[in-house]
Amino acid sequence: MSILLENHIVELLQERNDKAISLLYEHYGDTLYGVAYKVVRDEELAQDVVQESFVKIWKKADSYDPTKAKLFTWLFRITRNTAIDKLRSANTKSDKEIQMDVSDVYKLGTEGINPDLMDVQDNLDKLDLKYQVVLEALFFQGMTQQEASDELDIPLGTIKSRLKIGLRELKKLYGTSMLLIYLISCL
Amino acid sequence: MKEKIKIFLETDLLEKYLLGTTSQEETLQVERYIAMYPEVRTTYNELQDNLEVFAKMHSMKTPDGLKERIQNRIKSENTGRKRFFRYAIAASFTALLFAGASYFFWNQNQSLQEENLIVNTKIQNLEENMRIQLEDVRNQFIVLNNPKTKRLNVKGNSKAKELKAVAYINPVKKLSYINVSKLPNLPENQCYQMWAEVNGQMLNLGVIQEATDSEKLMALPYAENAVGYITIEPTGGNTSPTVENIVANISY
Repeated sequence: MSILLENHIVELLQERNDKAISLLYEHYGDTLYGVAYKVVRDEELAQDVVQESFVKIWKKADSYDPTKAKLFTWLFRITRNTAIDKLRSANTKSDKEIQMDVSDVYKLGTEGINPDLMDVQDNLDKLDLKYQVVLEALFFQGMTQQEASDELDIPLGTIKSRLKIGLRELKKLYGTSMLLIYLISCL
Repeated sequence: MKEKIKIFLETDLLEKYLLGTTSQEETLQVERYIAMYPEVRTTYNELQDNLEVFAKMHSMKTPDGLKERIQNRIKSENTGRKRFFRYAIAASFTALLFAGASYFFWNQNQSLQEENLIVNTKIQNLEENMRIQLEDVRNQFIVLNNPKTKRLNVKGNSKAKELKAVAYINPVKKLSYINVSKLPNLPENQCYQMWAEVNGQMLNLGVIQEATDSEKLMALPYAENAVGYITIEPTGGNTSPTVENIVANISY
């Protein structure tokens, strides 16, 4: 995402121009839908989550502070929290129908992965599984580090270090390809 | 200082902050570190980039129609907001109108209360006056109707030959009245004044106004062997009688 486009969207959001929503959807819709799906593991629920998240984004536009977080970080936080809340209320509504299956954390299936992003998926596969599991548990499953440690039966210290190393490894994997994407988007 | 930053980066506070799961206290701490130390800021920015990369890896094609659904929801949010403002304006207007009406009625109530007070005072004064007058008339009636009452005709001396008055004296009830029925005309700057000498003291009984007082009885202070006088005095009355201007005297 180019800084210019990001700034433009933020401006539109704060002017309460609904073009902002259209632009946000075009640029982040797929990613946020993926995040929502990763958490709730149900397409219908994930769509509800995305819809609710966009309404929250629209309503809370005034509270976004660009000096504190990048636009995507803010969007991610809203979507992730909405998804976790949704999953919790869905779980209390029908405990049996939708259950957060802990064993899913280990399987990193290719369900619903966008073919356009297959090269990204290839890169993801390059990331050691042990890091992927920790990142997913923390980023998508709504677990605290302690919970992840309990669920995955990995010591807390290891969770902490795998989170750090996993994120660093990602940067190595994407350092070059992100630069390319950035250059292409600037052209 | 370097050690402090290292310790901070070793905790998972920055990662928790990235996901928005820090407590309020932790958030303040993290934001302080980000603002103070460029190393922390760089690490935080890297984490943000990595999060975006990691999230993008899990991108999924959004289903058709979701965008339209979202746009419709946002539109209805906006009209809801507009409707809210419309209601808010209507409510404020009503409140303003109500406040205005309240002030108007309060004001009116206030002036009515004042008026009420004035009317009440007037009624009280009237009652008091009527009571005094009734008392007076009652006393006059007692005196006039009493068989023991003596009727004395009073005539003016050479200075006012036309003066005629009737005095009523009742020694039993110790009341006396005088009715001045005719007074000769006087120049404008003069008037008749009534006096009574009781137990050696001269009392001023007031100015006699013919037009209004001709039918009225004037009360005289009662005493054994008192003498009443009528004198001609300057308009408005005098503080002591002018002896040479005595026009009539009544002994009773």
